[in-house]
Amino acid sequence: MKKSIKYGIMLLVALVLAYNSVYFKSLSEVKASPASDQFDAATYANKFWNTKLTPGLNQAVEINALISLLKADKAAAFTSHSHALGIGNIRYFLVKGEGEITAVGENTVTVVATSEEGQQPVKIETEFVYGNAVRDAQGLIDLTDFTSTMHLNSVSEELNKKIRTEVVPPFKANAKKGQQVQFVGAIELNQEHLRLDEIEVMPVSLELVGASPN
Amino acid sequence: MSPEVYMEEKKEKKGTSSTKAPAGATQYKQHLVKFQSLIALFMLCLVIGLLSDKFFTVANGWNVMRQISVNICISVGMTLVVLTAGIDLSVGSILALCGAITAGLLKFGLEIPALDMFIGFTVLGAILAGMLTGTALGAFNGWTITKFKVPPFVATLAMLTIARGLTMLWTEGFPISNLGETFSYLGTGWFLGIPLPVWISGIIVLAAVIVTKKTRLGRYIYAIGGNESAARLSGININRIKIIVYSIAGGLAAIGGLIVTSRLDSAQPNAGMSYELDAIAAVVIGGTSLSGGRGTIMGTVLGAIIIGVLNNGLVLLDVSPFWQQVVKGFVILLAVIIDKANSKGE
Repeated sequence: MKKSIKYGIMLLVALVLAYNSVYFKSLSEVKASPASDQFDAATYANKFWNTKLTPGLNQAVEINALISLLKADKAAAFTSHSHALGIGNIRYFLVKGEGEITAVGENTVTVVATSEEGQQPVKIETEFVYGNAVRDAQGLIDLTDFTSTMHLNSVSEELNKKIRTEVVPPFKANAKKGQQVQFVGAIELNQEHLRLDEIEVMPVSLELVGASPN
Repeated sequence: MSPEVYMEEKKEKKGTSSTKAPAGATQYKQHLVKFQSLIALFMLCLVIGLLSDKFFTVANGWNVMRQISVNICISVGMTLVVLTAGIDLSVGSILALCGAITAGLLKFGLEIPALDMFIGFTVLGAILAGMLTGTALGAFNGWTITKFKVPPFVATLAMLTIARGLTMLWTEGFPISNLGETFSYLGTGWFLGIPLPVWISGIIVLAAVIVTKKTRLGRYIYAIGGNESAARLSGININRIKIIVYSIAGGLAAIGGLIVTSRLDSAQPNAGMSYELDAIAAVVIGGTSLSGGRGTIMGTVLGAIIIGVLNNGLVLLDVSPFWQQVVKGFVILLAVIIDKANSKGE
């Protein structure tokens, strides 16, 4: 008797929990109803590219000028030229430069950017275009457009895809050692552990200038 | 009184007085051993407090408590496992899987195209599903350990990989976010001026203390860890107790997963990475013997607080994350050495 009461109560609790845990619907009905959480990352990224990113490329800071400022006053350089969505030491800069291609590698093209401010070797990424540098470098992304971080990250993914498929291939096909190139892109720097010897540029615009050396 | 009797009495008194001093010293040493974790915590707080003015603030206090509540959930389960002379390396992965399952069911439900059926889950349903998953995986650990005599280290190491893989499959490698305000309340809400995760871990600790101190299950756990053969000969169903213990550890890891997922409003496929190590560290620092049969839940709680305060302090003092790992490693090593020395003394 005691056992049956115990099991009876347990069953009752299980039934109450189950009743309050799940609900059933027709799958076709659910599929037909418009999803409130749909986000078209490709469309958003395209619009961002055309209306914010590329029109704002003239705001990019010249790479040698930035390096000089970083060496002279790191805090000022980060405050005036870097952007990031989160807190932390990693921040992004939109940079531009012009220089000679010194090496064409499998994954990167090395360019020595030259200007009145000096010379700075940089590696332009042509294979591993990942991360949030391009999305965040201008500080123009509007967080209120997103209901989840997944959507925000998918914008980076789409921008990087666009670079891999549209920006890099024509450049990589014609880039040769000794050629001059004008570039605009995003770089990532750690303000606490600053390293200026291996700067990697995620390109947004790449233009070969002048005649090919061969 | 005859001189002989007098001399005998004097000898006895001398003997007593001569042994009294060492007895006092032993008692003092025993007290020191008993409260060593507490003393270590006090010293740690003092040093960090002196070096950082942000440490002794109410906001930081709640922050630390909220952070350690997940580790406490896992560590309590780990303590029960370690008391049976076992180990559970899968808790971090189980935490991730349960968090992902809860988030997935809550956000997307279950689709059964063959029956044209959609099963939606309420917050309660998703939480229960996550907890059931954790308990079932824990039970599976216990079953493989007892049925096939697989060493706990190996069985739970296998589960670590299985659960992580299942998490990746379930989430397809992406976080599942935006889970709603009701679910977020679990990890971010407050009740009577105390964060909800602290309430949850507090209730778990209380229940575990009662189980270990006042119930037959608790006595059996200590008996198995103390001497498994003797426990078996005295009629304890070792396999059943071990399966229960691993199930509890899995269930508590699931609760940890719910808290983490709720706090972040997102189930991350790589959540809980190396959480098992923090849990083992808390258990060891709390004085539980890795060979089983000796240790307390409150000791583990202290261990978890020490780990939490240490983590918090190192961040406040702007110590590099790489050095943080080194420091934590040395603290664990020191705890084990002290524990060994105490065991020898006993």
